[in-house]
Amino acid sequence: MDLFLSLQNAIIKYTDKNAFFINGVFYKYYELARVISKIRKSIQDNTIDTDKYIGLILNDDLETYAAIIAIWFEGKAYVPINPETPRDRNENIIKQAVLKTIIDSSDNSLFPEYILISSNNLPDTSIDLEPKYTSEEESVYLLFTSGTTGQPKGVPITRENITGFVTAFWEMGFNIDENDRFLQMFDLTFDLSVMSYLIPLLKGACIYTIPKNKIKFGYIFELLDEQRLTFALMVPSMLQYLRPYFDEMDFPDMKYSMFCGEALALDITEEWANCLPNAKIYNVYGPTEDTIFCTHYAFERMTSNKSHNGVLSIGKAMKGTSTIIVDDQNQVLPSGSVGELCLGGVQLTPGYWKNEVINKKAFFYTKYNGIKERFYKTGDLCERDKEGDMMYIGRVDFQTQIQGFRVELSEVEFHAKTFLEKINVVAVTFADAIGNTEIGLVIESNEFGNASLYDYMKIKMPSYMIPNQIKFINKFSLNANGKIDRNKLKLLFKATENDRN
Amino acid sequence: MEKNEIVEKLRNIFISILEHDNFEMKNELSANDVEGWDSLTHMIIITTIEKQFGVKFKLREINKLGNLGNLIELVSLKIE
Repeated sequence: MDLFLSLQNAIIKYTDKNAFFINGVFYKYYELARVISKIRKSIQDNTIDTDKYIGLILNDDLETYAAIIAIWFEGKAYVPINPETPRDRNENIIKQAVLKTIIDSSDNSLFPEYILISSNNLPDTSIDLEPKYTSEEESVYLLFTSGTTGQPKGVPITRENITGFVTAFWEMGFNIDENDRFLQMFDLTFDLSVMSYLIPLLKGACIYTIPKNKIKFGYIFELLDEQRLTFALMVPSMLQYLRPYFDEMDFPDMKYSMFCGEALALDITEEWANCLPNAKIYNVYGPTEDTIFCTHYAFERMTSNKSHNGVLSIGKAMKGTSTIIVDDQNQVLPSGSVGELCLGGVQLTPGYWKNEVINKKAFFYTKYNGIKERFYKTGDLCERDKEGDMMYIGRVDFQTQIQGFRVELSEVEFHAKTFLEKINVVAVTFADAIGNTEIGLVIESNEFGNASLYDYMKIKMPSYMIPNQIKFINKFSLNANGKIDRNKLKLLFKATENDRN
Repeated sequence: MEKNEIVEKLRNIFISILEHDNFEMKNELSANDVEGWDSLTHMIIITTIEKQFGVKFKLREINKLGNLGNLIELVSLKIE
């Protein structure tokens, strides 16, 4: 499959269909084609061939999405820059990627010292949707994820990677056409956005975005309800927000509901399934390094689903992806053993951007089915069952040693949640006054007496797994990617008190 | 409950959650005018109002709230 040619063909074929619904306005494919052409012309006039990476200021408008396609058709890659991110971090990204040109659809440019393409203010040109030739090894985007050292890490994704993703996506058997309506709830710095705009564009379907000033979960409900969306990829946290209102929800038009980015709880999925009587629900998994997602598990109604500690299985590898579970010496483990999940195959990034030190740690070669293959260490602990479905156990770094014992924070969470029923909890570790690791439990609720919770946990877990402190918080805050911000919750715990006894 | 009593109660809820009183309780006030009023605080404000007034809102009703005037109307309607 030639991805860009498919994209070109779809834009031409569905010219009179709606391509986007942005802030209450529909835009048709021919309007998209017009803006793409204008931006291409400006890229040709302002950049030289060797400038492969173009900065893209993210706004919720047609110009921003059109710029992605224009950059691709010019054989270049986009580097998303969120104008609301602190300036220091954005400048770090611009410097690391050595950007010379920035496309911005807003009236006041944030980075006037670079070559600026004002995509909201370009002269009309003739339509030009002919992709320039690029090799499969060239990047299509470069995303920066947070590095543990505080320096953002760049992940380049190639044309081969993204083509591999799209091919594997269709292999999952989705039935999508020009009448489908897709939710796009993600910031474009988060790669789940790529699936949310690219898959519909390839089929002439319509993409529904979320305006920046809207309350996200409320607006998603409106889109599902009033615009009768048929496809939604969401982070599981969104379900926690929507849960109090599930009894109002009935979306018979929904065909596919997918979740990615966090552990998906089985109980909330079962409740959600009742709101979408005709939809197939999938739990998908994958890091940015392996292009959007690379494993999938189909939730089944009216029967039992595979889960571990109340978290739905992440299933099997998608086509073209290799999965192995290894011990801390990178030796492949047999099924039934818990170890670190490592990913290889067509979707795997060539490596972190200009960062040989981290690349040496994160990637390694090993034999897989008799062939030497490159693998990425995800930092996620998994266990594979006899049928090949993988259970997500937790993060390698959430597996902590307490008084010498191995403790899985997700297991602490599971028992607390089971007792508290519909209340969400997060377990974190913190250092106590003498530097020992202790467990803190944060409960998403108003404060209540926790003696009975302690009693319950004490009959379910050994003493070293019982949280040393419990804190209450009205609502978990989410980080920029819409996931629960665990680092923020960690800050609730001070080293001094101990209310375990 | 009198309207000004509702308004005062709402004002106290906003202050306790947003941790500032840098807003004016006029009908046209909307979330975008108020510092710190985002998805998260919105959720907390709504659940606190439900608790303190002993009412339950539908998400459809919450979504239609364009400004403070709408909210006061909705609360008055619910406690009748």
